[in-house]
Amino acid sequence: MKRIISIVAFALALVSCNSLIEEFQPVFTTTYEAPKPYAVSEIEPNITIADLCAMYITATPWNIDRNLIIAGKVSTTDKPGNFYKSLYIQDETGGIELKIGKNGLYNYYSPGQTLKVRCFGMTLGMYGYKSGNYGGQGMIQLGYEDPTKSYETAYFESAYFIDSHILPGEVGEEVVPAEITEEQLPGPYDTQSTNQYIGKLVTLKNLTYGNKIFCLMYINSNMEKTLSANRIFLSDKTWGVTTWAMSENKFKEYFDSGLWDEVKIGNSGDYNYGTVGEPNDPGFATSKADIRAHSSAYSVSQYFKMGNTDIALRTSGYSKFSDEEIPQAVLDGTATVDITGVLTMYQGTIQIVVNSREDIVIH
Amino acid sequence: MIKRLAFSLTLMLLCLTAFAQLPTGGVKGVVVSRDGRVPVAGASVVLSQGGAQIADCTTDGQGAFMVEALPDGMYSMTIVANGFVRADVNVTVDNGFVKDMMRLSLIPEQMLAEVDDSSFADFDMDDSGFTDNPTIMYGTTDVFTSVAGYGFSSIRFKNRGYESESQDIYLAGVKMNDALTGYSPFSLWSGLNEAMRSKETTIGMESAEYGLGHINGTTNLLGNPSAVRPGWRFSLLSNNALYRLRVMANYASGELDNGISYAVNLSARVGGNDWIEGVYYRNFSYYLGIEKRFADDSRLALFSFANTGQRGAQNASTQEVYDLMGDNLYNSNWGYQNGVVRNARVRKTFEPVTVLKYTASPSDHLDLSATLLYRCGWNGYTALDWYDAPDPRPDYYRNLPSYFFMDDDDYNRLNEGKYQWATESWTTHNKDFAAYQHINWDRLYNVNYNQADGRSKYAQEERHVDQNDLNLAASVAWFPTEKFTLHAGFNGKINSTENYKKIADLLGGKYYVNIDQFAERDFASNEALIQNDLDYFLSKGEAEKVTEGGKYGYDYYAHVRRANLWANGVYTLGSLTASLGASLGYESFWREGLMRKGLFAGLDDHGNEITYQGKTLTAYDHKGNVITSKGKSDVCKFLTYSTKMSLAYLLSGGHRFSLNAGYFADAPTFNDAFISPRTRNTIIDGITTQKTMSADVNYQWAGNGYSLRVTGYWTKIKDQTDVMSVYDDSQQSFVNFALTGIDQRHMGVEIGAKMPLPVQGLSLSGALSLGEFIYTSNPRMTTTIDNSAELINVDEEIPYWKQSPQYRRVVYNKTEQIEYGFRKDENGDYVKDDKGNYVLDPVIDGYQKHHVPSTPEIATALALNYRTRSYWFFELTGQFFAKSYLDMNPLYRTCTAVGGADGIATPEEIEYMTTQEEFDPAFLLNLSLGKSWYIHRKYNIGFSLNAQNILNNRGVRTGGYEQSRLITSMNKDRYYKFDSKYFYMCGANYMLNLYFRF
Repeated sequence: MKRIISIVAFALALVSCNSLIEEFQPVFTTTYEAPKPYAVSEIEPNITIADLCAMYITATPWNIDRNLIIAGKVSTTDKPGNFYKSLYIQDETGGIELKIGKNGLYNYYSPGQTLKVRCFGMTLGMYGYKSGNYGGQGMIQLGYEDPTKSYETAYFESAYFIDSHILPGEVGEEVVPAEITEEQLPGPYDTQSTNQYIGKLVTLKNLTYGNKIFCLMYINSNMEKTLSANRIFLSDKTWGVTTWAMSENKFKEYFDSGLWDEVKIGNSGDYNYGTVGEPNDPGFATSKADIRAHSSAYSVSQYFKMGNTDIALRTSGYSKFSDEEIPQAVLDGTATVDITGVLTMYQGTIQIVVNSREDIVIH
Repeated sequence: MIKRLAFSLTLMLLCLTAFAQLPTGGVKGVVVSRDGRVPVAGASVVLSQGGAQIADCTTDGQGAFMVEALPDGMYSMTIVANGFVRADVNVTVDNGFVKDMMRLSLIPEQMLAEVDDSSFADFDMDDSGFTDNPTIMYGTTDVFTSVAGYGFSSIRFKNRGYESESQDIYLAGVKMNDALTGYSPFSLWSGLNEAMRSKETTIGMESAEYGLGHINGTTNLLGNPSAVRPGWRFSLLSNNALYRLRVMANYASGELDNGISYAVNLSARVGGNDWIEGVYYRNFSYYLGIEKRFADDSRLALFSFANTGQRGAQNASTQEVYDLMGDNLYNSNWGYQNGVVRNARVRKTFEPVTVLKYTASPSDHLDLSATLLYRCGWNGYTALDWYDAPDPRPDYYRNLPSYFFMDDDDYNRLNEGKYQWATESWTTHNKDFAAYQHINWDRLYNVNYNQADGRSKYAQEERHVDQNDLNLAASVAWFPTEKFTLHAGFNGKINSTENYKKIADLLGGKYYVNIDQFAERDFASNEALIQNDLDYFLSKGEAEKVTEGGKYGYDYYAHVRRANLWANGVYTLGSLTASLGASLGYESFWREGLMRKGLFAGLDDHGNEITYQGKTLTAYDHKGNVITSKGKSDVCKFLTYSTKMSLAYLLSGGHRFSLNAGYFADAPTFNDAFISPRTRNTIIDGITTQKTMSADVNYQWAGNGYSLRVTGYWTKIKDQTDVMSVYDDSQQSFVNFALTGIDQRHMGVEIGAKMPLPVQGLSLSGALSLGEFIYTSNPRMTTTIDNSAELINVDEEIPYWKQSPQYRRVVYNKTEQIEYGFRKDENGDYVKDDKGNYVLDPVIDGYQKHHVPSTPEIATALALNYRTRSYWFFELTGQFFAKSYLDMNPLYRTCTAVGGADGIATPEEIEYMTTQEEFDPAFLLNLSLGKSWYIHRKYNIGFSLNAQNILNNRGVRTGGYEQSRLITSMNKDRYYKFDSKYFYMCGANYMLNLYFRF
């Protein structure tokens, strides 16, 4: 009997010791061993980016239901803040945006790193298409299905989804931008499947300032943004905006200066809500102070000319260089600029988005 | 759990063997409590021979008794005192000598059960996110406290609803409550239960001999070596709710012939538990003391102790997370690193306390004591810090399924596909998915590896609160006559506490940059503004690159000076005792910033504005004062005072009636006075003393094994302040809330009763606490943007703080709707608007009172207790708790929150946003048993086993808090609340204590 008890006792002690290991780990582990760097994925692509984009049918987001794998080098970085929650990859045939809904993506995906993308389960859709506008193409993107249909694709944020669809490859040399001419620029009918430069890093040389901007602002960005009464457009001229974009503080500075007091509130053709200086819509603003109370940072498109083609340099109000003044020589047309950025389409027009201020070279 | 219980039982099996028992005898002596050597007054001593009573007497105030004129012979002596186990001793009187029995120690009833605070009081609840320590210090013989004190701690019961600041904790006569927060400082000596066992306590409003006390009882740990129980004591404790193992050794010499006593207490508390992963202890404690009694009976004691080591902390999560994990005790603080469990939030402490105490009795009528106490060392608490990288917390709201999809479309979370991805990552419980359910350390390291320049994007910081606390307490007890006693004293405190953070671990990187990333969001274009250490930046031209061990972020001193005089006189006239006490004090505190922050640069050493690249950095507040981060703040000064009176009347038959009343004007704490002490010197406007009025009436009766206490109490607390920093979605910014004028009222009854049952050794005891702890004012709140000190709201009332309207519902067209009624004016006439239409208002059915949170207003326990003559004891306790409420966030009680983005507050929005959540009631069953054996009258061995919550009720919420964030509805016309976070009680758990003494 005694022997049985001691055997049972010993066995019990042994079993419990095993389960105790985990809880006692931190008691004995005062320093932690550094984890190993992640291994790179060996998976091989089976389709090019241009071919993938060719599978997109206009205005028809496609929930990809087959095993398509693309691979491309990361061409953008969100470090200076001009790209946010997304990045572009490009292969020989084209470039495409991956709508990864996380901030600080450069922490995981370095410029020049090859990413392999398992497209199964993603949605291929377009952003910025304008129907009936003689082309009016936007950008084909890889995102997630948006059941609300507000956009053709939504961001994918789930870490598990990202980890199982975007597989990091080797970190290589950074992408060399293609220097292109005006003739090589896409037209309004072009997409990534028809023009190899769309979505890729390009350098456009000898641009001159276009003396106009485009900026859509809201009276209260917490309220419905599609309502005309909530919208203020700065367009057709510069409205005194001399920075690449505007942070919230810069917005206040412009706003207070009175430069925009004459700007009409509302969509064009619906100017029924007064002006920035004298708003008169009880639902949104009846005084200038009401607008100021909801100050925000805003993106600005600064227009440049490449020959006869309008190029919109689109800069985020959250980028680190948004408040930097555009040099006077550029503004008065005595200097030209070379811009390196991702060539994108919006409603058939050409935009370029830079990674950082250094991508704008002034001559 | 079964396995671990088995393991512990195995240990017990291996350790235990059975033996026989004791006693001893005398005719003169001092009856003291074994728990603390405190004299037991009023104990009945009966001497008998052959069953016939020969003599009896009662011990005096010093516990002394003497029975004279006894013939030689053998007597049996029985000592009975309320709250103690009856003691039977044999005495031999021979040769006509008066036999001096010296000290006769009685065992407090609950001590026999060994479930004193030595077992559990070190809950360390601040580590679990709670800001409060356990509430009732127990060890008193009070019948309510003996049931409630330990028994209610698992639900975080707060005695009478009071915060722990209201409980005065003394050590050797020095008040130890934290100088900056007022919290009771149990963690300083946790693990040193033997050395700190001896204590004196008072309950409620009673005054004590070492201080006037407040409204929630006082406790004085004696701490000196002669108060430590002599002999060797070893114990081995295992539990599965906090830490696995405690090993303790203690030796106290008792008083030697040369008047010297010394004592040593060492303990280790290590391991994790079965319920909360990531929570572990790695704590070692020591106590060393020496004391000398001089010829004139004066004593000098010197002792020092500390509790050093680290403990992994727990975190609260939302119910969604708990449900996904299938575990209400899920802890988001830990994750695997290389397969090893690592907690991101670790409390690391070493705060040695050194005490020099002198006591003297120059005459029979006068006792004097003086204590010098110094506390220093460090107290660090780690946390993750990150810069421009995703939030690493696994339960961050954007990682949860509810961020993607909610059944109610109005939340505008409509993506079921993403919901399913997130759900799968949370509900697949294997090691591959641990990366999504716990901190993914491997990923944090890999992010840092990816930074070509070696800059860490993730780091582990260690927030320090390092105290230098010097105290002097002196007291005098004067007994001029039999009828009058005066206790009086002085307390002084000088405290300088450095608050800063340092890099504890760069997680594979080389340095961390000392900038404020929240400032960078708003002021990215001005590099100077985003500096945490502007002086470094201006002198070196770049932000500091901090390496491991380096201070960064913030660094400031909190200075507190406090002096207090108090006196309490007790006058006894027959059965009536009256006492009157008062205290008068002065307190001042100020902040001294050691780091100049870019946002609040202030003026330079010459009083000039600071500029960078032509831009002025110096900023001014709305009154035109410079906002400074570095240097000395204004000094807050407060005159504090309090007074207490009590009357007690003792009727024959042991009935005692008493009445206490008091008024207190206390200084606010440092931490509630500065709007954002980490960044600037700004003090809350209108800061004032907090006033407390309190009264209680008591009835006590004890006799023949019965005892009863009934107390009714009423307390009003006025003018409290509070500060908090939160992210405010309506401002899209971090803001500071400063609340003033928080008033509370606590009232209720406490009943404790004990009765013997017809079976020998069987008794029934019960405790009931029935109260209402409510807010009685709508405080005023000033909101400032943390980054700019810009005022958003100044001194605005929080209209839904003390109560929320509840609207009447009617069924209309088969749907329930809020009823509207016509508005009437003061004459009872219907009101019409400008257009001649009647005005409709929602009909308010009543108001929900808002309660002081996180403690049940109904708490009751019934215990069946059985102890045998052979030192076995068993106790089965049933407990019921109800009416406990969630801690409220002031933001949700503002007009902004109920108005939504459109600013229009509907009754539905008001009700939804402002109603305070009440927790479900809970029923718990606990069981204790134990036995001790004596070997050759010298060795004592025993065990006690406590099984808590044996019904394994895992749905008991003990506390939690509301988040401050808001979700804008689909139609942008209202806000929704973020889910609240909760703490839960452990399921079935045990505590096994084995001890050996000689």
